[in-house]
Amino acid sequence: MWPACGPLYDSFSMRLLFCVALLSAYAFAAVDYAREVQPLLKRRCYGCHGAALQMSHLRLDQRASLLTGGESGVAAIEPGQSNRSLLIRYVSGVDPKLIMPPKGPRLTGEEVGLLKRWIDEGAVWPGSETVVETKADPRAKHWAFQTPVAPSVPAIRNRAWVRTPIDAFVLAKLEARGWQPNPAAASGDLLRRLYLDLVGLPPTVAEQQAFAGDFDAEIGKLLARPEYGERWARHWLDVVRYGDTNGYERDALKPMVYKYRDYVIRAFNQDKPFNRFLTEQLAGDELPDADAETMIATGYHRLGPWDDEPADPAEDRFDQLDDIVSTTSQAFLGLTLGCARCHNHKFEPLLTRDYYSMVAVFNGLERPRDGRTELDRPVGRWPEVDRFNAREKKIAELREGARREWLESGRSGLPAEALAAFRLTNKERSEAQKKLVRDHTKALDAELKLLPVEAQVAELKRETPDLERGYFLQEHSPTPRATHILIRGKATSPGPEVSPMAPTLLAAGFVPPVATERSSGRRLALANWMTQPQNPLTARVIVNRVWQWHFGEGLVRTPSDFGVMGAAPTHPELLDWLAVWFMDNGWSLKKLHTLILTSNAYRMAKTSNAKYAAEDPENRLLWRVPYRRLEAEALLDSMLAASGKLNRQMYGPQVYPEIQKEALEGSSDLDKIWEPFDEAKASRRAIYLVVKRSLMVPLMEVLDLCDTTRSAAQRQTTSVAPQALQLFNGAFVNRQARALAERLRREAGPDPAAQVDLAFRLTLARAPTAAEQASLAVFLKEQTLEELCRVIFNLNEFAYAN
Amino acid sequence: MPINKTRRDFLWQTGGGFAGVALTHLLTQDSFWKVEAASRAPHFPAKAKRAVFLFMNGAPSQVDTFDPKPELTKRNGQAYNGELAVGSNGRPVGYLMQSPFAFAPRGKSGLEISDLFPHTARFADDLCVIRSMYTDTAAHASGCLQMNTGSIFLGKPSMGAWVTYGLGAENESLPAFVVMTDPRGGPIGSASNWTAGYMPAAYQGTLFRASGAPLLDLRPPVDDRTQRRSLGLLKELNEQHRAKYPDDTELSARIQSYELAYRMQTEAASTVDLTKESAETRRRYGLDEAITADFGKKCLITRRLLEKGVRFVQLYSGGGHIEDTWDGHNDCITNHRLHAKETDQPIAALMEDLKATGLWDETLLIWGGEFGRTPTSEGVGKPGRDHDWHGFSMWLAGAGVKGGQAIGATDELGFAAVEDRVHVSDLHATVLHLLGFDHTRLSWFYSGMNQRLTGVRGEVVRKVLA
Repeated sequence: MWPACGPLYDSFSMRLLFCVALLSAYAFAAVDYAREVQPLLKRRCYGCHGAALQMSHLRLDQRASLLTGGESGVAAIEPGQSNRSLLIRYVSGVDPKLIMPPKGPRLTGEEVGLLKRWIDEGAVWPGSETVVETKADPRAKHWAFQTPVAPSVPAIRNRAWVRTPIDAFVLAKLEARGWQPNPAAASGDLLRRLYLDLVGLPPTVAEQQAFAGDFDAEIGKLLARPEYGERWARHWLDVVRYGDTNGYERDALKPMVYKYRDYVIRAFNQDKPFNRFLTEQLAGDELPDADAETMIATGYHRLGPWDDEPADPAEDRFDQLDDIVSTTSQAFLGLTLGCARCHNHKFEPLLTRDYYSMVAVFNGLERPRDGRTELDRPVGRWPEVDRFNAREKKIAELREGARREWLESGRSGLPAEALAAFRLTNKERSEAQKKLVRDHTKALDAELKLLPVEAQVAELKRETPDLERGYFLQEHSPTPRATHILIRGKATSPGPEVSPMAPTLLAAGFVPPVATERSSGRRLALANWMTQPQNPLTARVIVNRVWQWHFGEGLVRTPSDFGVMGAAPTHPELLDWLAVWFMDNGWSLKKLHTLILTSNAYRMAKTSNAKYAAEDPENRLLWRVPYRRLEAEALLDSMLAASGKLNRQMYGPQVYPEIQKEALEGSSDLDKIWEPFDEAKASRRAIYLVVKRSLMVPLMEVLDLCDTTRSAAQRQTTSVAPQALQLFNGAFVNRQARALAERLRREAGPDPAAQVDLAFRLTLARAPTAAEQASLAVFLKEQTLEELCRVIFNLNEFAYAN
Repeated sequence: MPINKTRRDFLWQTGGGFAGVALTHLLTQDSFWKVEAASRAPHFPAKAKRAVFLFMNGAPSQVDTFDPKPELTKRNGQAYNGELAVGSNGRPVGYLMQSPFAFAPRGKSGLEISDLFPHTARFADDLCVIRSMYTDTAAHASGCLQMNTGSIFLGKPSMGAWVTYGLGAENESLPAFVVMTDPRGGPIGSASNWTAGYMPAAYQGTLFRASGAPLLDLRPPVDDRTQRRSLGLLKELNEQHRAKYPDDTELSARIQSYELAYRMQTEAASTVDLTKESAETRRRYGLDEAITADFGKKCLITRRLLEKGVRFVQLYSGGGHIEDTWDGHNDCITNHRLHAKETDQPIAALMEDLKATGLWDETLLIWGGEFGRTPTSEGVGKPGRDHDWHGFSMWLAGAGVKGGQAIGATDELGFAAVEDRVHVSDLHATVLHLLGFDHTRLSWFYSGMNQRLTGVRGEVVRKVLA
């Protein structure tokens, strides 16, 4: 079933040797290269593809270049195969958009014929029969492409500071420079930091009071709370481009897509091992223990935007695959493989062939849809799904039979001409008949409902109950369509066929897929390769993301680009140590959190140090924990928690918050676009707010919600005036301010000092200072408590954890 | 080059939008900032310092506006036998349909414009019509995206965002990139047409309303005295907090943003307050006529925004679906008569004022939609026209543009661009050039490469340049 060309056969030098063998076989070819071919190439091609200039990195005056091709990644000639040779395709003008030479007259039929014959005769090139030595690509030695090996934990002087090996790695760098880590943060600051970091909510007053100074115990408690999943799932949703609608013209809600979001929340809360989490998303349906949960997980593939009225359906198919390939390579591997769609990667050792080998992995996936309407699918264990599908088929047959019989029975109360129209297929109906059908469908349905067949249907439904439904792409056969390299990324220009495969450079350990009757097994093969311990990227990439979500910056500060052009790690040894430790500890994210959070490195204060700030403004040595604003979700959730309005209901369909009616003006579908505001519903955590790609919630957007059209590695932090306007004047914050004021009156009584005290504890998890109490007392003499609450929700200290 | 996240990047990225100028003041001591500020100048001196994109949403028909086709008139009613794919998304193809609008040579240049635009026609000698535009898609969603962001895919920054990124803001109390949509609705794809894509949100277009409060949440929920008092308290508490983190520019920027927001309350509101405009101005912009009132108001506000240094203004004519836009599938004639009437006089008034104030020499005007319309009728027996992405017309005018000329040509019937073909990316390259940028060098590193408005395409249309 699998083509015989494995990675070895495909490798560059093997291909070259093979070509040389061919060359000798054609030693007595009729076309004379030196007399006929070379002058032609020289006259028409060398100007751009010769010694002086190599457009698209291709030169036609060197055989090696002809055989390996330029940046398209496809050989210019395949000796013996003129019909498959790119050179011939270009000069003969098969594709009017890709004609060479681009200027001057086209090659004549005779000239093209000459080149064809030369290639078919083996492309003999006298005088240079020796194999060109291929130099190993020096970029292959890049650190991130080597399997991580745990380094030994460095020796340091200040042993008292070291609580975890992380501290030793961090301290070693600082000590090498004669520096000291920042002092520990104040206990109250640290408590609030931990809460916001792990559950995205500030500690309640009771939690503040109950806290006895044992941070390690607090970490365990927070990780066990369901709010942990609601906070951390959102980080992952950024990486996988989560959105609730498809974007483009109709921007329709994707049916059941929220189940993927709920799956991610549960996965974090269950501490699903990351290797399993990855595998379920890529290939949950291909697992031997596939069930409803793992099928919903594969919704991952279908999260991106897609155009329901594509300009070019053939291109569109590859655009959708590109969405998956680009997201997968960035999210899990930290590789910008998407750049190799049209040509070999300009900077990384990634080939166009690698890109299309990855396309081949996903090429069996199909989008369940009915025209422009997207469909969801039943989920469960495969036998359950099969039984359900059989039931549906049976019901459809029964009903169709009963309907046909009924239409002929003469017992229907419908007019004869309507019955006649119903008997035809839609195609056969005239316009008048179509109208008849529209007008009488309801009446006919009412009659059909009373037929005895419905009792049978009910019985079938009792025997085989309905299944939960999910939103994902599906494979239907063990052998997907063939995948070809597309020349310059164009669907109309297929080049050589490729097999599903990991990127050549990293392919060690890739075990070819094993197909089942349902699917190709290709995605499972990819997931298995990604999660084997020798894979140099997967563990490093996720460990680095988790580090970034705790510290604001990763150890590698380009978290979705670990390539040659990505940033070098600030602490390479620590990164590798963590990656290996993570795999050794069962890929457990909760264990990783605990390790990081129990370290002194995490507990450093965020305050500045003039000398260090001057010498290391980017904090590359990690002499402090950097300051960063809360994400939109944590900021809004914190307000709801403080005001007492937070609705803690978990999971389920998207929630529509109140938005400014002016915001709807920019929309092309004014009437239907937004659900009416329901305060209790809308006061759920922001992870449940609808992500409508053509109409982002303005408050979320202005607070730097990520781009939802592609994998987003990191939130931006901007501070612009429209943000201040929405936070200070907008309905949401003012409503929370009013609720908080009521709560203060209710819980703290009428004394302004007590109200201020409680307000600070609820929002900033600390008591106000004497100076603050004094200023606020003055303020409250002339302004309302509501105003005070509005100000507190806008404080920098509220938006930034100390 | 990869972005190494540095303090510099932070300044560069937060500094782009409204807060830009203030941050510059704040951080003049920072030598890194000076380097970045310098790179925000154009690549070469250019006349245009700002631009207005008059977006005719829904796609105006070229053969009824700026591309006269006598051959089409001659063959009116005949079947089309050419090879082009006509008819988008399976819509029926009818017969060749002549334009009912008369074309005449205008001005000294003799540029031909149909009688849909009697007012614009007065400026014929200033218009540079490109008759050979073409694009890659026949659908509105991807067409609008391509015209605005250079790509048929979601998520790319819009032209206005690129210009804002490149030139920065001139007025700290107003957004640098303003968008005004049609009261009937926005374009398909809404905000994805003025998004900053992968760039910081500061560069995105800000939706400005022509009536009421122009910006979201511009009006404070309390009286001005209370608002000032509360902002005062906010600042006081924030300054105390900042003392502990003196080198943290994010905290300073956030404090600053509240002050800017307060100034914006006044500045933005006064910009849309047209009560002080003279009766003569109101008449010229058509504010007192129902049909021109909305677009007239937007054009007048545009003039005021330009006067205050706003970089990029985009106005939408038409919104919502089908006949509420220029999308004349059923009756292109009535449709175009309506939308042309709504916009023609206001656009002419704007041009008149720009000339009077001298802003003309610094302002680039762009007129057009996402593609064109077929010279054939859509189906039989109705005067609708379907989408045509093979050829259509747009015009440029103002700073740096050679007026009084038509560039390129479609075939004899007006279906496809055949001479001096101008792809949307070529238009973008030209617009950036007119604003002082080499489109191949105005880039943003994202997702492994230097991204640009023109992608891997785009050539400046030299004939446009004065």
